[in-house]
Formats: sequence, C-alpha cells, structure tokens
Amino acid sequence: MDPPLINESTFSPANPSAYSLAEIWPFSGELGSGGLGLRMGNLTRNLGDFADTSMHRDGSAEESTVTEQSGGGGASASGIRRKRKDANSEDESSKMVSTSSANELNDSGKKRIKLGGSGDENSGVKAEAEASFAGGSKSSEQGTKPSETPKQDYIHVRARRGQATDSHSLAERARREKISERMKSLQDLVPGCNKVIGKALVLDEIINYIQSLQRQVEFLSMKLEVVNSRLNMNPTIEGFPSKDLGTQPFDVAGMLFGSQAARGLATGSQPGWLHMQIGGSFERAT
Amino acid sequence: MTLNGTDMLPSETKIKFASRFLRSLSKIKKPRSASSLKETQKCSERIKVAAYSSMAHAVGSRRAWSRAVLVKLGSRARQRQVLMRRKRSKVGKKCKRVGMKKKKIKNCVLGQENKLRELVPGGKSMDILSLLEETTHYLTCLSAQVKVMQTIADYYSKG
Repeated sequence: MDPPLINESTFSPANPSAYSLAEIWPFSGELGSGGLGLRMGNLTRNLGDFADTSMHRDGSAEESTVTEQSGGGGASASGIRRKRKDANSEDESSKMVSTSSANELNDSGKKRIKLGGSGDENSGVKAEAEASFAGGSKSSEQGTKPSETPKQDYIHVRARRGQATDSHSLAERARREKISERMKSLQDLVPGCNKVIGKALVLDEIINYIQSLQRQVEFLSMKLEVVNSRLNMNPTIEGFPSKDLGTQPFDVAGMLFGSQAARGLATGSQPGWLHMQIGGSFERAT
Repeated sequence: MTLNGTDMLPSETKIKFASRFLRSLSKIKKPRSASSLKETQKCSERIKVAAYSSMAHAVGSRRAWSRAVLVKLGSRARQRQVLMRRKRSKVGKKCKRVGMKKKKIKNCVLGQENKLRELVPGGKSMDILSLLEETTHYLTCLSAQVKVMQTIADYYSKG
C-alpha cells in the first residue's frame, strides 16, 4: 500500500489558516520529485498544523493519526496530525518526524529553528531524525544522517513558529503555560486581582489575601472565644432558658445554610445533629 | 482547565466543616477563672486550631494542604503526648527550643513563591504547579471557613 506522499493535496487541507503551504514548504514543486525519491526511501511525513490550548497539550488534541507503511524496504510511519485551532491560543505547528530505516531521512520545513545559535543546539536524537529542507529565509538545519537511527520510527514534536523545538524548551513551554493558567484561576478567586497586571503583583495580591484571611480566622477565633466563654458561663450564672435549647439549633442550621442552595440537605440532616451537640454542651455545662 | 470543586466549595464540605467546628467548639474548655490574658489567648488559639483542623477534616485527605494540616496536627498531638510524658518523668523542654530555631529559619526573607509556600500548609515540598493548584483550593476553603465562622460568631453574639 502506498501512503499518500507529501504533496500539496495532503498538505493544504491540513493547514487551513496558520501556515500557507508556500510558507512551510517553498519547494512544493520539488516536493513531488522529492516525494518520488522518498517513496523509494519509504519515508513519508505529513504534518498538520494545530493550535491548542494548553489543556489539550498532552495529546488530546490529536484528532487523527494515520500511520501507514510504505512498500519500500523498511517500516516507516507517516502521521497526519490535526490540531484544533483556538483563537486565544498561539498557534503551534505539529510535527511528526518519521525516520526511516532506509537511507533517507526527511523532515519537512515546518520545523523552524530560531535564528541564531539554536540551530546548533539541535542535536542528539532530533538532529539525527531531521533532514530538513532549508526553506525561505529561515534557516533550518541541514543534515542528513542516514541510517543512524533505524530503530526509531518517529518522534512527536510540537512547536510554535520560530521557537526552539528541543524537548527541554517544549516541556518548559508547556509548564509555563500551565502555570499561567493556574495563575488565572487564582486571579479569579481573589477579589480585585483582575486588574493587576504582572505575575509578581498578582502573587503579592494573592499572598496578601491569604494573609488577611488567616488573620480573619484568628480574629474570629478570638471573638468566638469570648462568645463561647460567655455562652458557657451563662448557664452557671443563671439557668439557661429551656426554650432556647429547643429553638437555637434549628436557628443555627437555618442561619448557617440558609444562603445555600442545598437548604433541604442542611435542614434535613443537620439540625437534629446540631441540636444534639449544642444541647449536649449546654447540659454538660449546667 | 476548570479545577473541579475549586470554583465553589461544595456545600457538603461547608456543612461538614460547620458541624465539626461546632462540635469541637463545644468541647473546648472555657477558662474557669476570671479570664486571665494567657488563658484567653490559649483558648482562642485552641479555637483557631480547631477551625483549621475541622476544615482539613471536612476536605479530607484528597488535597495536599489538608493532608499537611492533618499531619501537622497529628504530630502536634503526638508531641504534646511526648511532652506530657517527659514532664511526668521530669525531663524535657528540649522540644520547644528546637521549634523556635526552625521558626527563625523560616522567617528569612525569601521570594514570593516561598512566601506562598509558607502560607499554604504543606507547600514547602511542592513544585510550583501543584503549589498554585493547592493555593487555589486552599483559598476557597479558607474563605468558606471565614464565612462560616463569621456567621457563627454573629449568631452567638446576637443571641
């Protein structure tokens, strides 16, 4: 079975908006012939572009992955990955590098290495797996290292345009996105924190809020102590009115949970229990 | 990602907390003598501890921070027992000094992250991601706790 090789028709539906084909692969004309050559080398590679929110990072965004075996010498995998596009998130390109067991390694130009030294950084496994067509002005690494990694079938790499794609920076990026997302959810919790810009200030605000809450707890415990002692003293001074014993627990329950939606649950299950507790305490006190 | 149960604390937890807190409140001994300052302080401290522990119990051991609180309280109780035993055998007071030293080290000025770590129970051993998540949950719980305590205090002071 012949896999669909890299050509325009496979690419264009996969890249709806983010990257035009020309941008990715300036040599689409050559690609055909290259593809033919690759057919011999039984390496195919498809790529899709995607942009997903960081929640989908860990692979849920992969809608389809097609792996095919070409009829050549060894096994090679070709994958089509499509990633959902989210308006908010930055678009990323997905990349599936297939390394064939044959002599040819191919990598599409989707891999954009940051201009500068990052091309040199790219080493090890990935460098072995990649032989990219140098496309456009962006320098991508040229290095066909055939049959060095015959055992590896493919490597999944995702990177935004113009960003380093070594695994460390990818992981770091994922982590950072997760952090900022958590920060956002924290920001929603802390009142008046939405207007604050900047991680440090937000953290400051959060810390202040927690501290204020803890101080509030302290204050309330002091207040409760006063109230509690008074309540506990009361019966010893003058007998606690018996009618209060009956009414109070229900009031407490109603008051505590009155604002909640689950009032039925509260009044249904708790009051008796509370009654027991509070009543018990009073009885013990007398 | 919407963190489950952190947007609004489930009312079940609130009820659990309230009932537990009321129970422990009723158990706490009142100062018998005309309130000396130390005694009142001790009592309010105990109430505070009771509030935290009942919140942690209400949340359960699913969360790292509540686990930390529970462990801390448990070790505290154990320490107290040990202290009691030592007092009985008339050795002792070493434990307290160790605690003081640790506190002094804690109070060093650190970054904001570390500040947060100090505030959130059990935060010292977390990485930043889980720290933030725990902080989110802890915040919701703490605010709920404050609300419940406020209502209880209001009610009792009124009546």
